[in-house]
Amino acid sequence: MQRPVPRAIDPTAIVELRGVRKSFRQKQPAACLRDALRPRYRHVTALDDVSFTVAPGAFVAYAGPNGAGKSTTIKLLGGLLMQDAGEISVLGLSPDRHRIPIMRRMGILFGNRTELWWDHPVSTSYQWKRSVWDIPAGDFAAMEALVLDLLDIRPFYHTFARELSLGQRMRADLGMLLLHRPDLLLLDEPTLGLDVLAKRQMIAFLKNLNARQGTTVIVTSHDMDDLEEMARRVLLIAQGRVAFDGDFTGLRQALGCTRRATVRFADGTTRDYPFENAKELMARLAALDDIADIAFGQTSLEEGLATLFASWKRGEGTSLAAPD
Amino acid sequence: MAGNGIGMRRLLRLYALYARMDWAWLRRDTRLGLLVMGMDLLTAAASASAVFLLAWRFDGVGGMNRWDVLFMLGYVVCVHGLCVLFFSNNVGHVSRRIARGQFDHMMVQPLPYAVQLLTEGFAPFTAWQGLACGLGVMAWALNGLGRVPGALWLLGLAGYLLLSLAVVIGMSYLLGALAFRWPVACEEISSTVVDDLFGVLANYPLSAMPGAVRMALLTVAPAGLMGWFPACALLGKPPLGLPALYPLLAAGVIWGLAAFAFRKGLKYYAKTGSTRYRSYGHR
Repeated sequence: MQRPVPRAIDPTAIVELRGVRKSFRQKQPAACLRDALRPRYRHVTALDDVSFTVAPGAFVAYAGPNGAGKSTTIKLLGGLLMQDAGEISVLGLSPDRHRIPIMRRMGILFGNRTELWWDHPVSTSYQWKRSVWDIPAGDFAAMEALVLDLLDIRPFYHTFARELSLGQRMRADLGMLLLHRPDLLLLDEPTLGLDVLAKRQMIAFLKNLNARQGTTVIVTSHDMDDLEEMARRVLLIAQGRVAFDGDFTGLRQALGCTRRATVRFADGTTRDYPFENAKELMARLAALDDIADIAFGQTSLEEGLATLFASWKRGEGTSLAAPD
Repeated sequence: MAGNGIGMRRLLRLYALYARMDWAWLRRDTRLGLLVMGMDLLTAAASASAVFLLAWRFDGVGGMNRWDVLFMLGYVVCVHGLCVLFFSNNVGHVSRRIARGQFDHMMVQPLPYAVQLLTEGFAPFTAWQGLACGLGVMAWALNGLGRVPGALWLLGLAGYLLLSLAVVIGMSYLLGALAFRWPVACEEISSTVVDDLFGVLANYPLSAMPGAVRMALLTVAPAGLMGWFPACALLGKPPLGLPALYPLLAAGVIWGLAAFAFRKGLKYYAKTGSTRYRSYGHR
């Protein structure tokens, strides 16, 4: 049944979801003859009443555990899937009705597949993109030069796509994605399988693109460190619902990722002193005797999220209060 | 939708793009390319040889004389040649694209699907062999029949070839649309339709078949429209008392049904997503 949409789509948002639901039907293996004749299905809810908006120029991390609904959201925004209920607006248009005008202004990248022509050099794929997107020659030349330099694609520009390493392929794919100067980028696991150097290059490029050209970026990844380095806002999704929407500092607080001082005493024992205020910590430490050493540390986002996801798996709810 | 229209100039530029890519593919390994093209030429000639040798030995077969049969076989090879010339790259075998989740690649392009499907399979440098072979066989048969084709007759030939092509591609899309729902079962369905129904059955002269069989092969399983009917019509003998423009009607009906089935399939695809990720997905 179609649910009422809470309020009108925001005309200033570049992306908006209102009460979006999406579920899939999975066929179950036949256990008996009756099942074979009348198959049983399991309904999996991928998104359950998801609502959020993204302002132009934002850099949003879309995070969550496996099967949380991240890729489903990206596909819905890209028009590759249609929602069961709710409303979606991308660049002020509806993805299921305005596929072509949206695709002229949007780029979508899936880390687990390529848009490059497999049996052609990267350069041929770029020329293909120019023709299909009808990019003016001047604009194409400028963007081509930019991505070749910044993503360090020149050394393999004339290499066949099938002969590229994963890192090269991802950079070539990202470069091709940008040739038509999209206003909005949807990146699903763009750092998947990349080595440290390739990852650094990609992150630096995306940050630069967002800062200098104001391109709106929505990126999914399992690597929270990568996301934190790239994005200013994080949307945490779990079991199809938005569990957190805020900045990374807020997420740390909500997860209880505190800073701590680990004190080792002269007798060899150690003790953790969590703190938020350094002055208060100094006062507490000054009162202690026989301190042999002090180390400062912090619970990482990865650790905090792992604990959180484990609790969700145990059925202990999927909410995470955003700090005031 | 307004603004999404593609003019003839843009369409030709897209054809030129895919022609350049086909040329680039050939240049990638010219020796291998030439070898493949030579083999394709031989295969095209061989596909018609069995029926032709029978017709030659018995001075005709299936109610047609040996030159009529040869003309029909040349026509069939031409239609096959046009299929691969304009609908290579799995565009003609669309059920493979659907079942392998490759439709997602088309959804992210700012072009109507019809334009993508019309242009992406154009391979003028690597897939001309069937058409060339078919035209050569037809010329040989016309010479044997002592006919000198006029301009109007050639225009009729071109029209019939286009209609036969429309029938084959229409049937491939009509049945290929099933792959939206049952991807694994239907992935190869267009191969079965194009290669078996139109590839094998179309090579047999049907003039001596019972009327009901001939009618079935012109309607529900229209293999007769790929060679036998148009060849008879072009030789001045339209079969079964049907009008010479019957293939136009048949192509129209098939395309109407194919468009309906494809649109329904696409809606289902948008609802369920790429079949690659479903329980009955390809991989």
